Amino acid sequence: MLERAIVLAASAVGAGLAMIAGIGPGIGQGYAAGKAAEAVGRQPEAKGDITSTMLFGCAVAESTGIYGLVVALILLFANPLINLL
Amino acid sequence: MEGPKILFTIPYLNINVTETVVDTWLVMAVVTILCIWLTHGLEIVPRTKRQLAAEKLVSMVNNMVLNTMGHRYISFAPYIAALFATSMIGSLSSLIGLRPLTADFSTTLAWALLAFIMIQGNNIRLNGIGGWLKGFLDPVPFMLPLNLVSEIANPISMSFRHFGNIAAGMVITSLLYSALAALSSFILGWIPNEFVASIPLFQLGLPAILSIYFDVFTSFLQAYIICMLTMVYVSGVDSRE
Amino acid sequence: MPFVSIDVWTIIMQWGNLLILLWLIKKFLFKPVMSILEARENEIKNMYDEAEEARSTADELKTQYTAKLNNARDEADEIVKTAVKTAKNTSDEIISDAQDKATALIERANEKIEVERKSAINQAKNDLSDMALTIAGKVIERDINAADHSKMIDKFIEELGDAS
Repeated sequence: MLERAIVLAASAVGAGLAMIAGIGPGIGQGYAAGKAAEAVGRQPEAKGDITSTMLFGCAVAESTGIYGLVVALILLFANPLINLL
Repeated sequence: MEGPKILFTIPYLNINVTETVVDTWLVMAVVTILCIWLTHGLEIVPRTKRQLAAEKLVSMVNNMVLNTMGHRYISFAPYIAALFATSMIGSLSSLIGLRPLTADFSTTLAWALLAFIMIQGNNIRLNGIGGWLKGFLDPVPFMLPLNLVSEIANPISMSFRHFGNIAAGMVITSLLYSALAALSSFILGWIPNEFVASIPLFQLGLPAILSIYFDVFTSFLQAYIICMLTMVYVSGVDSRE
Repeated sequence: MPFVSIDVWTIIMQWGNLLILLWLIKKFLFKPVMSILEARENEIKNMYDEAEEARSTADELKTQYTAKLNNARDEADEIVKTAVKTAKNTSDEIISDAQDKATALIERANEKIEVERKSAINQAKNDLSDMALTIAGKVIERDINAADHSKMIDKFIEELGDAS
């Protein structure tokens, strides 16, 4: 029982730590959005293209954060470690 | 938080049919009915908005494929349309209470593997098996493991991205619902009437705002992105232009 | 099923579903719409061709009509010219006729006047000679043989007439 509790607690902490990966995409997407705003300011007529390109880039840049999220989700909801006991 | 439920098992073959697959069938039925409804009674001179919508849809997909892949891959348009429709409507199905079929990792992995097979197939078609194998030794043989990893990482990142976005939306929405239910029972709990106290008052309206981002926007964006990535990767091995 | 799971049968069924949907979309959305777009393109092409043909026919007709119109104008000019010429000739003829007639009339009148004048002069001569005879008879108071002197008097009157 104690081992189980330790694994669960460690998993919860691990999930929390995994979500630190959210920092990267946050900075990256903010940077991308800033650049896109600059680009729109320079060329307002290309707003549609810039927006779609930015969304595409943001979504791709988001992957690292999503990996962290998936690891967190696995640790929380489909914990493989608990079966190893 | 549970994964997709097993609704029934096909006897003798022992195949488990999950919620995801049944939802996919529903989505397919909806898409097919929509297509039939949109395209019945087409005329050379368009008279109905229905026909205009159908033509707009087709030309939009065709333009997207043309702009991204070039005219050689125009036969890809129906595949992209099918992928987009399934992904988008499948993700949006969470709005009517179904489990979004893209919140099942198997679904997105299936699509990503299909894209992977198409990428490698297109590469082999263009360069021959020798050229394809030699591509992994590019630029120096030492890079072989890295090239292999980067090739294999493609479908994994694609499937995890789509799955993670939709699943995160689902998790956050359900967390919000339970939090609002707790808030409702905390605030309304002092009312002696048990029925009134059990009304989850705060669940009304508030989740809709978040759902605009997590369901509608994300569904559209992820459908767009998985289509875009499939197109870019498949035509990316084509260096003729 | 766990939250994050890989189920081989689900993957296979999703492949099947996607391919079936691909087939359905191709059959029910892309084929009809593409065929209708193609039909419309053909129709527009046909319409353009027809319009082009109609325009060339119209151009041809226009040149024909212009030529005909020019011919007609020339003919009309000709007719008018001829008519004007004829009219002028006629009027000239009429005028010359009238002038001829007027000249003849004037000549005749002049002749008549001359005749009248001559007869008047003769009358006057006769009267004058008679008067002279009478006067001379009275003056001389003798019978003058009219026959004898008549010649003389006539001569005198002749000279008188010449003088006058």
